[in-house]
Amino acid sequence: MESSIIRAQGLSRRYGSTIALDSVDLDIPAGRIVGLIGPNGAGKTTALKAILGLSKFSGKLEVLGMNPSKDRDDLMEDVCFIADVAVLPRWARVWQIIELTERLHPRFSREQCMKYLARTKIKQHSKVRTLSKGMVVQLHLALVMSIDAKLLILDEPTLGLDILFRKQFYTSLLNEYFDEQRTILITTHQVEEVEHILTDLIFIKDGKLIVNNTMDDIYEQYTEVMVGPDGLEQARSLNPIHERVLFGRHIMLFDNADQKRLGELGEIHKPSVADLFVALMGEQANDQTDGSGAGEKAA
Amino acid sequence: MNANMFSRLWVLIRREIWESPVAFKWTPLIIAGFILLVTILLLIIGAKVDNEQVFTIDGIRMYAQMDDAQQRLMAAGVMFSAGSLFHQIMFLVVVFYLAGSLYDDRRDRSILFWKSLPVSDQMTVASKILTATVAAPLMYLGGIAFIQLALVLIASGYGLMADINIFSEVWAPANLPKVWTVTLLGSLVQSLWLLPIYAWLMFCSSWAPRLPILIAVLVPVLIGMFQHFWSFFSNFRLPDFNLLWVILERIGRGVMPASVEWEQIINASESEPSFVPKEEMLMSFKSIGNAFVSWEMWIGVAIGMLFLAGSVWFRRRATDS
Repeated sequence: MESSIIRAQGLSRRYGSTIALDSVDLDIPAGRIVGLIGPNGAGKTTALKAILGLSKFSGKLEVLGMNPSKDRDDLMEDVCFIADVAVLPRWARVWQIIELTERLHPRFSREQCMKYLARTKIKQHSKVRTLSKGMVVQLHLALVMSIDAKLLILDEPTLGLDILFRKQFYTSLLNEYFDEQRTILITTHQVEEVEHILTDLIFIKDGKLIVNNTMDDIYEQYTEVMVGPDGLEQARSLNPIHERVLFGRHIMLFDNADQKRLGELGEIHKPSVADLFVALMGEQANDQTDGSGAGEKAA
Repeated sequence: MNANMFSRLWVLIRREIWESPVAFKWTPLIIAGFILLVTILLLIIGAKVDNEQVFTIDGIRMYAQMDDAQQRLMAAGVMFSAGSLFHQIMFLVVVFYLAGSLYDDRRDRSILFWKSLPVSDQMTVASKILTATVAAPLMYLGGIAFIQLALVLIASGYGLMADINIFSEVWAPANLPKVWTVTLLGSLVQSLWLLPIYAWLMFCSSWAPRLPILIAVLVPVLIGMFQHFWSFFSNFRLPDFNLLWVILERIGRGVMPASVEWEQIINASESEPSFVPKEEMLMSFKSIGNAFVSWEMWIGVAIGMLFLAGSVWFRRRATDS
């Protein structure tokens, strides 16, 4: 049996009359890369802050077997997080930050960190305030990836970075950092970039989990079919959960439909996370002009 | 475990000094440089006025003929006036440092980085208050020791010129090791006197949505004024116990050298107008030790601890938003 890294039961949080998290149940085992995806204000950051012991919550929550609000100091030895880009102290010099992390974090490897930094243009004597936004993120990622943590939480880690660096980052995260002992929880808006590395996917909306499954199961459950004009009526009778038009072709998304029958209607393929997101999350999904994720993909 | 705790505290205190080098490193150096500059300027002006150095040498020889106690009093007076400027400025620097100590990283969001390290909030608060009460006095003592040594060296130069025995007439009365010990112990006791004020500033810093220094100053000022007017209009007299007065008195106690036996000096000068204090009254270990049997000091320490506990409580719940 796999041991749980994060286990939540009825995890809730309200701010006044707004419900940020609405009785969320969650069970994330070790060795996973989980994408927590949701629109702005869906409760992603609230969930992460609860997991990190940075905010109050009600319900049951265990992270690495500990209560994050009570055992926060111990928990932080095994959990690393980048809560947002560019939050390193601006007054500090690079060597000072490395020194502090080394002295304060028992699982930090200076050697590893230097290896990552050698690939960048960051100089030891620079002050954080003089680094570009991208360099600050590079530095922060180098620090975090040099910590032998059991759980790594990345909240929009690559926000504002150029595409070259984003690709490079996810490649090294997957190849050099990730292994079966570790679990990574990522939130991001750039779903297309992470979907290839995710093992699990969670969609969150209005504080509720809409999808919470492994990628394999998701690909089994949802099927996308490109339907030609003559099959339209027949396809619609199978109740697609979403339909969009691309270059005159109708692309429909089906939930738990018979693969064989779908195959007769047109070309079958795996839906992208972005398309799934649009189909499952947006009321505006009915509006055919929307679907920015889908549009990008076509381009 | 304990050794580990101390080494971590040490790292965190170094962090504070890295963050505020102007407050803790450059300010004492600048004060020392300033005093040195003024001294040299005065000596140059003196040399211009007293062309042949006749009066200067005469003066030095007169000093050399004074008895021991008088020499020690004069030396102690010079040493103390050089040191007091440091303590006054240090108080101001520490006030601003503490007001920002738990606020600045909330404002620039770097609190999220600090909170990602396995450091408890108690440890964070402890490292900051220890920076204010122990590390800062030590750094400023460095500046004090430097300027006192410089003054003694200059005096020795003049002493050689006047052909007096500089060891018995300059170095012995100045007694630098004693001055430094007294200043060190005294400044730690002064920190204890100031603890409630320091902790209050930190407490404000831990929750203030903005401008913690303004809040920290305005709250006691408003309470004091309210107390004043309330008592005036309800009883037609001023209050016996005014918060503002208590605070000002406390600041005075914390900024003045703790080794001076103020009460003795004041009492003696009241009964005898021509009273001249002795060196022992300026550098009294007993006066430093007396603080520890003063209930006033311990009440302040207790209030300070409450504010520190409050700071930990707010720090625990603080995030970037």
